[in-house]
Amino acid sequence: MPHHDIFRLHDVTVRYGRRLALDGITTQIPCGGLVALVGPNGAGKSTLLRSLLGWVPLSRGEIRLGDLHPRHLHPRLAYLPQRAEVEWDFPIAVREVVAQGRWPSLGFFGRFTAAEKRKVDRALEELDLTALADEQIRRLSGGQQQRMFLARAIAQGADIFLLDEPFNGLDLAASAELLHLLHQWLAQGRTVIAAVHDLALARANFSHAVLLDTRLIAAGPTAEVLNDAHLDLAFRRRMPVLGARP
Amino acid sequence: MTAVFDALVEPFRYDFMLRGLFSALLLSVSGSLLGSVLVLRRLALLGDALSHSLLPGVAVAWLLFGRGIVSMLVGALVTGLVIAVGSALLSRLTRLKEDAAFGAFFLVAYAGGIALVSQTGTRVDLLHFLFGHILGVGPADLWLTAAAAGITVLLFGLFYRGIVLEVFDPVFSRAAGMHASWFHLGFLSLAVLNLVAALQTMGVILALGLFLLPATTAYLWCDRFSTMLSLSAALGMVGSVAGLILSFHTGLSSGPSIVLCLGAGLIASAIASPRYGLLHSITIAWRERRAVRHTTD
Repeated sequence: MPHHDIFRLHDVTVRYGRRLALDGITTQIPCGGLVALVGPNGAGKSTLLRSLLGWVPLSRGEIRLGDLHPRHLHPRLAYLPQRAEVEWDFPIAVREVVAQGRWPSLGFFGRFTAAEKRKVDRALEELDLTALADEQIRRLSGGQQQRMFLARAIAQGADIFLLDEPFNGLDLAASAELLHLLHQWLAQGRTVIAAVHDLALARANFSHAVLLDTRLIAAGPTAEVLNDAHLDLAFRRRMPVLGARP
Repeated sequence: MTAVFDALVEPFRYDFMLRGLFSALLLSVSGSLLGSVLVLRRLALLGDALSHSLLPGVAVAWLLFGRGIVSMLVGALVTGLVIAVGSALLSRLTRLKEDAAFGAFFLVAYAGGIALVSQTGTRVDLLHFLFGHILGVGPADLWLTAAAAGITVLLFGLFYRGIVLEVFDPVFSRAAGMHASWFHLGFLSLAVLNLVAALQTMGVILALGLFLLPATTAYLWCDRFSTMLSLSAALGMVGSVAGLILSFHTGLSSGPSIVLCLGAGLIASAIASPRYGLLHSITIAWRERRAVRHTTD
């Protein structure tokens, strides 16, 4: 597993029309760890994740992993949007969704062999979905649905996971389960870059943090990044009530 | 017993009925594919509007070149495209939303088509366009239908994975590098092609019924996309046979009688489907109420 990979962001700037979503972000994000993207709503966390996928046209700057543009990185990259906007009533079983993870490598015409099927089985097993494999997807709980998409990413052979607020809407048990999984992935040398709102959770579990407020406030080891001075900078401006001190 | 058998078989002793039957059977196969995508992508009403809006194109082609298949197809494709692009422009450049733009556009086109046909043709012509005319299914129509069904099945077979992802999870489709920007337009063109092929048997208004009704019925029964496709094709075939027999004995146009037969299947399924039907929902609600009453007692 390539531990030494580093996302290099140089002067990354994104505009949506007139609105500046990211402003001159220059930093490095090391792979092989848990990385938290922190910042107020509208700080550009989702935009940064989508830039790492190569989906957002940069108005300035560049992003590289090694020598590669992000668009040449799939199937290594997997992305889980904030709320998966899939058709939940689609007549499809959990196993079939996970099997879609093999499609990017197989293309339109590649044959789905027994070896492919084993990869799908392993992904289902890793995320503890084997018992639910033949259920229609609407019947899963929120946490199980998320695990299904993570299993699809595993089946895809991804080792860099870009997760947009994965803890949103999860109850305590499901959160704990997800954290357990992320730590397992960490031990296996996989990379997780996740937008996170819960600062305590980020401090306790993520080794690396990137604090954003359109521009970069700080990046590095979580304990150093999420200190009061930095958080003040990132959040105060957005909270006029707190900021209105004499 | 033999009398019943005769009544069932007799219609298909005539060549024109056989041609109508084959045409409907072929369209049941391609229609199941198109209909399932329409239903799952929530485009059912849009498909409806699209089928209505083809009338002026077909009418103009008919006026200029007679009942030629190719000219009608071209006419329909052109109007279909004009309506699709026109309403897209209207919704993008004005305050109108897509559904309003499309709805308004198709009404105008439909009215134009009716005006064209009724001013220049006879009442019978208009009725045939609107509701289908099985006597008019010539050998050339049958070839067109076979080609349309063949192309549709072939393209679905080739791009099955891309189509499933495009309907089910476009975001992943994009991340996986399987996103196709031509999907929407390609799909609309296929729909128009099949609608024109269905024109003679089903008529402009009801052509979509042969695609949509079997797919909606199958959707009430199936938890797998592949079974939904096969069940919907089978339902379309059964409905076509039943509808043509009904049409033969009652003198009702073939289009309405096929759609009525398919509709009967849909209503029965909506009531009785064990997982997604009305009876099921009522049973569950009743059980819950009883459970609540027992716990409060």
